[in-house]
Amino acid sequence: MAQIKLQNVQKFFGAVQVLRDINLEIADGEFVVMLGQSGCGKTTTLRAIAGLETVSSGTITIDGREVQDLKAADRDIAFVFQSFSLYPHMTVYENIAFPLRAVRIPQSDRDKEVKEVAKVLGIERLLSKRPSALSGGDMQRVAIGRALVRRPKALLMDEPIGALDAKLREQMRAEIKRLHIARNSTSVYVTHDQVEAMSLADRIVVMHDGVLQQVDSPEQVYLHPANLFVAQFVGSPVMNITDVSVEGSGTDALLRIGKSEGFRVPSAVVSHLNGAPAKLGIRPEAIILSHNGGEGFVETETTNVEPLGSHDIVDIRIGDETLRARCESGFARGEGERMWVSLDHHRAHFFDAGNGQSLRKEV
Amino acid sequence: MRERSRRLFHPESDIVTDVITRLEPDSRAASRGLSDLTIRNLFIIPTIAFLIIFNVFPLLYSLWTSFTDFRASTTAPANWIGLANYRELLNDPFIWRNFTITAKYVIISVTGQVVVGFGLAMLLNRAIPFKGLVTTLLLLPMMLSMAVVGLFWKLLYDPSFGIINYFLGLGKFEWLADPQVALWAVAIVDIWMWSPFVMLLSLAGLSAVPKHLYEAAEIDRAGPFYTFFRITLPLVAPILMIAIIFRTMEAFKTFDHAYILSSQPTTELIAIRLYKMAFLEWQTGLSSAFAYIVLIMVVAITNIYVKYLNRAKAR
Repeated sequence: MAQIKLQNVQKFFGAVQVLRDINLEIADGEFVVMLGQSGCGKTTTLRAIAGLETVSSGTITIDGREVQDLKAADRDIAFVFQSFSLYPHMTVYENIAFPLRAVRIPQSDRDKEVKEVAKVLGIERLLSKRPSALSGGDMQRVAIGRALVRRPKALLMDEPIGALDAKLREQMRAEIKRLHIARNSTSVYVTHDQVEAMSLADRIVVMHDGVLQQVDSPEQVYLHPANLFVAQFVGSPVMNITDVSVEGSGTDALLRIGKSEGFRVPSAVVSHLNGAPAKLGIRPEAIILSHNGGEGFVETETTNVEPLGSHDIVDIRIGDETLRARCESGFARGEGERMWVSLDHHRAHFFDAGNGQSLRKEV
Repeated sequence: MRERSRRLFHPESDIVTDVITRLEPDSRAASRGLSDLTIRNLFIIPTIAFLIIFNVFPLLYSLWTSFTDFRASTTAPANWIGLANYRELLNDPFIWRNFTITAKYVIISVTGQVVVGFGLAMLLNRAIPFKGLVTTLLLLPMMLSMAVVGLFWKLLYDPSFGIINYFLGLGKFEWLADPQVALWAVAIVDIWMWSPFVMLLSLAGLSAVPKHLYEAAEIDRAGPFYTFFRITLPLVAPILMIAIIFRTMEAFKTFDHAYILSSQPTTELIAIRLYKMAFLEWQTGLSSAFAYIVLIMVVAITNIYVKYLNRAKAR
């Protein structure tokens, strides 16, 4: 098991900078998920740790040893590819045994290790088959088996379940988590799927344009996004973001979205904004809908209803903006229905309208 | 089709019917002239006729000849002598020597072509400057006439003014007159000429190996040799096997450049022996039998390869 540390890592592809000053420490036994859109640099970071990609500057250390100039083979890490990368001409057994054979582990030890890993992954019955005869899920199990068999210092996974169908993804996600708990191996996992990230990670690293946006626990990333990008990238449906003006003083302030009549909130909620232009971020579940008006409620109309079974997503019109609210299924009967809406101000986020950084109240 | 369109359109309007009627004379002529089947036959018959005249007939005729004492140089009728020709050939130690020489030549030549061709393919399978130009230049020998190649290599090998001895500093070394070396000299020419063919096929095979498998092998701590023998070679094997099949069959038939280069008994390949037997000694029946023996051998060897190829492909 190992600690991994990246310091001021930069990477250029020609004139294009894909990694900008990456600083990241991954603790021993930690499960870190790198989350971001395609092309944000998350896979490049992972490949740089693995040694499949050189870095332009900066240092990468594994267990205190600088490795950025070492070959992948000398870093003692395992890598699970999105494309599985199983050797097509070898059986499952030979695939899993490959890393052991490559460093001349004796046959008897090899056999023991392969069978043990196969047992853990539940693929014993597949050992004599070739990859072409396996399902996607089994292929990925074999790929993970090949990675785990030599007990590497760290396990790096590049969208390992991205190529599987939704149901299998869910199942494999649970298996990966179980394996991590059982083996407690330092793991770095790349995905663009926030559900995977939230469910697997000890810490999530959100990346955008080659820059780390936020490194935090899944709860913190969800509850306190560091900036507009993170706020909109994590959570489904995405957080409502809208321009807001703050009016009034005294005990109550008025949050006005566009030309709406505005939501009355305690002044303490917005006092730290100091009247600067800000954007309001509010998650769909923090928008409260009611069939009756009341204190703090604003009258509106539904413009769309998406029934999702467990709950509904209802679009409502506030000022010129459409906000999406989450409510229990069947609450809204259809579009054009009259509703009253209020905001849960405890769960309201404010962002700098200029740089998009979170304007969080210091506690 | 014409019938159906008439039925389809007729009830709808007179105009449509009119159009159909006006089209009819043409289509009727077309159908009277050439049906699909006729067109198909027109394409196939010349090929079949060609195959029968130039392949099937000679094949069967020579099979019959191989059981006779026929000599094409005389007008004497051919007499059926059964398996006598085959018996004579298989008991002739000189023929067996031709076979041994040919086997040795095939092994040297094909091995050389595979090693050189595959090596070149490995070199070209990476980013090198002027890759396209280099590849084209390397392919040139393959495009030359074999007789021309034989003639100019004879000059290159020349003990007095040949450029090979000059560059290797071998003085007046006799490449083609030395019975021990002549076969190697002939094989070297074949290697020079046909390695590009193996290179071309290997290159196709190598570029089809996914890059991520090499990355996986690197992560798995496999060294370059281990990666080559366990990943590259097995994955290129099927296409390499096809190259080997082609080259083996061709090497068995080698005649032109070998005949031009050397008249040593140690370079008398079966094709040369066959040529002499058939067209210098005019032993037509005997040479037909000889040709059949060679055919059976080539088919047998090819079958062994195909079996390996299928096994490699099954993986």
